[in-house]
Amino acid sequence: MLQQWVQYFPDMMKGVLITLKLTGSSLVVALVFGFILALMRLSTSKTLNLIGTWYIEIVRAVPVLVIIFLAYYSLGNILTLSGFTAAVVSLGAFYATQYGEIFRGAILGVDKGQTEAASALGMPSRTIMRKVILPQAFFTILPPATNQLSNLIKDTSLVFTIGISDLMFQAYSAASNNFLPLDMLLEAGVIYFVFYLVLSKLLARWELNVQRSRS
Amino acid sequence: MSNEVVVSIRNLTKRFGKTVVFEDVSLDVHRSEVVAIVGPSGAGKSTLIRCVNRLHPFDEGSLQVLNHQLNKGSQFPSKQVLNDIRTRVGMVFQTFNLFPHLSVLENVILAPIEVKKVPRKQAIQQAMELLDMVGLSEHANKYPKRMSGGQQQRVAIARALAMEPEIMLFDEPTSMLDPELVGEVLDAIQRLAKDGMTLMLVTHEMQFAKEVADTVVIMADHRIIEKGPSREVLENPRTGRAQAFLKRVLNPVHATELEREVAVGHGGGR
Repeated sequence: MLQQWVQYFPDMMKGVLITLKLTGSSLVVALVFGFILALMRLSTSKTLNLIGTWYIEIVRAVPVLVIIFLAYYSLGNILTLSGFTAAVVSLGAFYATQYGEIFRGAILGVDKGQTEAASALGMPSRTIMRKVILPQAFFTILPPATNQLSNLIKDTSLVFTIGISDLMFQAYSAASNNFLPLDMLLEAGVIYFVFYLVLSKLLARWELNVQRSRS
Repeated sequence: MSNEVVVSIRNLTKRFGKTVVFEDVSLDVHRSEVVAIVGPSGAGKSTLIRCVNRLHPFDEGSLQVLNHQLNKGSQFPSKQVLNDIRTRVGMVFQTFNLFPHLSVLENVILAPIEVKKVPRKQAIQQAMELLDMVGLSEHANKYPKRMSGGQQQRVAIARALAMEPEIMLFDEPTSMLDPELVGEVLDAIQRLAKDGMTLMLVTHEMQFAKEVADTVVIMADHRIIEKGPSREVLENPRTGRAQAFLKRVLNPVHATELEREVAVGHGGGR
């Protein structure tokens, strides 16, 4: 088994690179779009609120795989999206709902007195959000956001179904070469695990550093 | 105290839904006047001063703050008006509400830099002077959670003063403090009064109100039941409701004893 693991390791690393790129790009889309969704749901405008709410309710109820297929086969055909772009759009669109709710909860969780104090000092609402609310929401956001990141990493493995040569795809094609699906999938599994372990440790250290700098 | 009226409250009524917070409240505040608002909790004192800087809307009546007319209803005044009022009216809260993610110095300079666009260097210099005034300049780099309540509240005062307000609102600034820390905060407030700042102060510190305030307003049962020169109102209240309130506050043990005696007396007569 070890010999097979070593033999296909370079291929797997090529896959990891794609998985990494995919995770990063989808995360950026999800964070930006998620923040917009949170603002929509917190907005006093009824229309924006309704759009945000419905978007979240619908999209998070649909399996990610369905969204990926929809993006790739229908939207992708019309707009001639590459597989990678379609994957980023669909993962980003789905995870935006998750991050949107995390952001909204964290923003609501900041004590009302903070907004009052900042308003009483004459700060406009945008400044209050940027300088007072978000920096405090950070600690509420980070743990569940890390959690969702682990889901996102794992869900990137679904994109092998639209022919993107990510880690999962590499494991799959290796298995069809050497007929050892268990070994190859196990190798991929271990790599996914290490990938997430490193990321979550880095995030935890980041959180600790910020916490220390503020006391 | 000058003749210029800076806050003019006319027949103001405020409700939360159907609950009346206060009704038909009228009060004029002059430049450099110190107005203490006292009374039992739930009388609407805090809500009243929160209307002055438009943290709360009101339902009836009219309110003029620094020559700006505030209208009834939940519609905000124009950005310009709101901004002008809020930069010229400072506020200190019962729960301090310092920004916990910022150091003491950063708390004080944030609004001048962000709102007034004061250059950072200048803002820091001014903030250090203010912190010096409240006796906290050596704590400038500390974070709020490392400080006592009294220190936090003094930082909050410095933070409000950094916007160079003309009127300061104090919403029960000492109610959350340990008794031995009350003095240092009242000290800072008294200094402001001496410097001619216009103050509206909701408080339970009767002695302080008597000594520092020009005018005392007693609110109870959702209205103003008595107002006038502080000594007069606190020493010789005219209405029965005000007398009962002051008796209970100034001499709590004795007052309840009296009430009990009255109650026992009633029981015996049955």
